[in-house]
Amino acid sequence: MGKKRKLMKVYPIEENCVSCRYCEVACTMVHSKSKDPVKAYKLENLLPRATVEVKGAVSLSLMCRHCKHPFCFDSCISGAIQVDENGQVHLDEEKCVGCWNCVLVCPFGAAHPYVSEEKRHSFKCDLCGDRGFPACVEACPNRALVYDYER
Amino acid sequence: MKYVIVGNSAAAVGCITGIRKVDKESPITVISYESSCYSKPMIADVLIDIPQEKLIYRDEKFFEENKVELILGHRAVKVNTDSKVVVLDSNELVPYDKLLISTGAKPFIPPIPGADRKGVFTFTELSSALAFKDYIKKNGVEEVVVVGSGFIGLEVAYFLAKIGVKVTVVELLERALAKALDERSSQIVETLMKEEGVEFIFKDSVAEILGDEKVSSVKLGSGKVLKAGAVVIAVGVRPNTELAQTAGVKVNAGIETDGHMETSVKDIYAAGDCIECLDITDGKVKPLPLFPLAFEQGFVAGLNMAGKEMEYLGGLPLNSLKFLPVPVLNAGIVTPPDSSYEVFVNDRFEEKGFYRKAILKDGKLVGFVAVGQIDRVGILTNLIRQKIDVSPVKERLVELDFGLVDLPQWWREEKLKQDKTAYKDWRAV
Repeated sequence: MGKKRKLMKVYPIEENCVSCRYCEVACTMVHSKSKDPVKAYKLENLLPRATVEVKGAVSLSLMCRHCKHPFCFDSCISGAIQVDENGQVHLDEEKCVGCWNCVLVCPFGAAHPYVSEEKRHSFKCDLCGDRGFPACVEACPNRALVYDYER
Repeated sequence: MKYVIVGNSAAAVGCITGIRKVDKESPITVISYESSCYSKPMIADVLIDIPQEKLIYRDEKFFEENKVELILGHRAVKVNTDSKVVVLDSNELVPYDKLLISTGAKPFIPPIPGADRKGVFTFTELSSALAFKDYIKKNGVEEVVVVGSGFIGLEVAYFLAKIGVKVTVVELLERALAKALDERSSQIVETLMKEEGVEFIFKDSVAEILGDEKVSSVKLGSGKVLKAGAVVIAVGVRPNTELAQTAGVKVNAGIETDGHMETSVKDIYAAGDCIECLDITDGKVKPLPLFPLAFEQGFVAGLNMAGKEMEYLGGLPLNSLKFLPVPVLNAGIVTPPDSSYEVFVNDRFEEKGFYRKAILKDGKLVGFVAVGQIDRVGILTNLIRQKIDVSPVKERLVELDFGLVDLPQWWREEKLKQDKTAYKDWRAV
């Protein structure tokens, strides 16, 4: 404890954000089966793991912070949320039973509920694990998202 | 250093996690009379045939990786504080340097005549849930009476209705979940339950459970008689403090602990449903038998047991109704106790399927209810926890797009830029 973790995550820079929502589109697309932005929204009913917030002149894109103390991990009744040795917080959507405790306790609102008749589970930013580099950062035209080591 | 944990649920797993953050090597022993580390909040799901493996909260691999020795199928019956040993029902002695008591809670069974008849069940352990399921199957039970409309009672009732059993919930108070929800959300929950076929009788109680050897009906206080092939008593739980008392630990409404989760007896810690805990929303110390709190208390206990000093943040009531098609979440105070509280409501349930309510005191959020649309409500939970002044944005608290942009800029600076997300960073500001 107290030691710096070797964890990279996505940092929003609100001064640079122009609320274009490219991050949301890129996120949804790379997590889709079709890899097509329109199909991902319309046919696969996917939702972005990054949330662009706008209020007056302020805007920012927000996703899982992989907290040093993740309350979602405390609250997860199914064991779907786990923390790896680097401190990255993983959510196994198959294991998740949709109890919504993580939604209830995430201080950033970064664990989202997926509620449909067939499926109920939470979902959140996975740092594009199998992709190697977060798609939202790549898509951001204004350097309002950067991929960096934890501070 | 030798750590011993009695109990094998959320607080125990939290404790193991906490210990291993600090001390990677010293032996940990877990003692539990139950046979596996399953998820307590999920046991009612056995009624709708959840696969057994889904119920497992932490599998054997977890205990192996954390170098935990499991003593399962044995009860810890006594703690001898002089020789620092836990005595098992097999008379085996388990020595400890630091002990965690996480013995959970026991179902409260009111003194109802006939409550000892066959076919009367409680619902806090997997074994009782499975026994109940087995009983209704073997006896072809078609009608069940559930006593109490708390979270356990309602979930059991809902699942029974789903599998075609006629179920009636008998509740002493005037509405469902009266202690956790406000009137409006109770009403929404009742409507959803009734749509599934669950019937409610409010302001009444079970006076007697009738039958021969097995239960056949219940007689209510009002004189009404309901046919019942089985009865589920779910009127709440009480901290299980028996083991703690053998150690001479101070017990009030639950086991008393200090900010480090240590009990009145040195080197004995306690966490989870067996303790009484500070409710930060009203400043009162009380049992708050909730899964997330149990884990967190266990975690804090674990850190302290391993020598890393950490102060518990305190708890707050928070619930999620996980079985309904419509999510129902609440935290903190949901019904203002007096006129010094401010209330904001956004009720669009009939047209849009959502309802939100926020309760403030002195410009700070102390509680909320969210039904239907629940995305991002954790932001609200944290506002309660950190006691941040939200008076400039109070009308916005019940809007669906309330977000971090509504919070003070310093908060975003600290949390998003500086990564202040360690446990201690979530204290009240």
